[in-house]
Amino acid sequence: MPKKLKIVGFLCNWCSYAGADLAGVNRLQYGHEIRVIRVPCSGRVNPLLVLKCFQEGADGVLIAGCHPGDCHYQDGNYYTRRRMHVLRELLDFVGIDRRRLHLRWVSASEGAKWADVVNGVIEDVRAACEDAPDSALSLRAAAGAGDA
Amino acid sequence: MLDELKQQVRELFAGDVGLVIAYGRSRDERTVPVFARKPADADALVWNDRCYYNLTRYLTDRDVMGDGEGKIGIVVKGCDLKTLNVLLAEKQVTRENLAVVALRCKGMKDADGKLLAKCETCTVADPDPALCDCVIGPVPQREPREDDFADVDAIEAMPPAERLAHWSREFERCLRCDACRNICPLCYCRECLASQHDPRWIPASGSATGNRLFHLVRAFHMAGRCTNCGECERVCPVGIPLSTLMRKGARIVRESFGVEPGAAPDQRSPLASFAPNDPDPEEVAIK
Repeated sequence: MPKKLKIVGFLCNWCSYAGADLAGVNRLQYGHEIRVIRVPCSGRVNPLLVLKCFQEGADGVLIAGCHPGDCHYQDGNYYTRRRMHVLRELLDFVGIDRRRLHLRWVSASEGAKWADVVNGVIEDVRAACEDAPDSALSLRAAAGAGDA
Repeated sequence: MLDELKQQVRELFAGDVGLVIAYGRSRDERTVPVFARKPADADALVWNDRCYYNLTRYLTDRDVMGDGEGKIGIVVKGCDLKTLNVLLAEKQVTRENLAVVALRCKGMKDADGKLLAKCETCTVADPDPALCDCVIGPVPQREPREDDFADVDAIEAMPPAERLAHWSREFERCLRCDACRNICPLCYCRECLASQHDPRWIPASGSATGNRLFHLVRAFHMAGRCTNCGECERVCPVGIPLSTLMRKGARIVRESFGVEPGAAPDQRSPLASFAPNDPDPEEVAIK
């Protein structure tokens, strides 16, 4: 039986959270490995929050926001795009699988895309976990506290 | 060149400068930073191939500066000038409060007399006079070697598991002494998040995971800002190749956003700005 994954999703309030809501209203099925945290903007996601998720035992992190150009605050997602690009490359450089961190754009009307994105991310994180079960940043795993 | 420097420093004191940060000699004959406060102090200044310190580090140090000392003179090499540009761009120092004395530099040498790697590839040995109050010394005649990022490439060529093992071996030696952070001219936060108690982002004591987090966070904060002065690696008591990590960050930012940190005093930090055509995660869609 495959490992039970935990993926944290940071969803912007204006687009992606509404998109995920639409997926729910439309009764679309997608993987339940994702835990959603609603944030005012994808630009609110401090890279430290991503690292904190990994520390606390998350297997993957997904950040979803408005499409470039559509940000409710004009340009929050542009900053996120740069930050997460750098973070992902740095993680990769120190040997932490880049498939564990994703940034995607989901608008309020893209319920179906949200379901696809989640399934795609789960698949990626699962593949990463098969190569290396631990994110290498988890303090819980390091302390041998199990995955309670 | 040294006489010229001393003369220049004396002239600064004749003006409105009350403190000059420069290089001097310690009692055990090492070249160290000195803080000259009167014209006579200029006699003890030195300039040689062991002037490693990036003196701009002290400009943001409140322990040294107090609440400001009026106008400050500072001696910089071409590479330090890049760091000063970042400090100016981030509005940590005010140019009007500085008298910048730049030295044309032939490169620094390590204990074995070998030119430092960063000096081999140096392209700023002759500092831009427009950014300084004065430039001292003969124009160095030296062809810099092209920086091939061989250290970064060597790690990138490893498979992911080996990269992780490599960095784990390096980071597990880390004592968390914070020397790298304290010597860094761009680690000027009054309270570092690595020392914060609530929230505790990074475990305080050394541990494999905590050390990895600490260096990852530092590398992220330095990406697009670090000017590769190499001081972190030089002061590391256990020899962690921190420059390689910093240079990787610099390369990501240069290749992805076309930004060279410290190129100009009005250049915005790449992670505090953006361009509409930045690399997009959906154009390299996940499989």
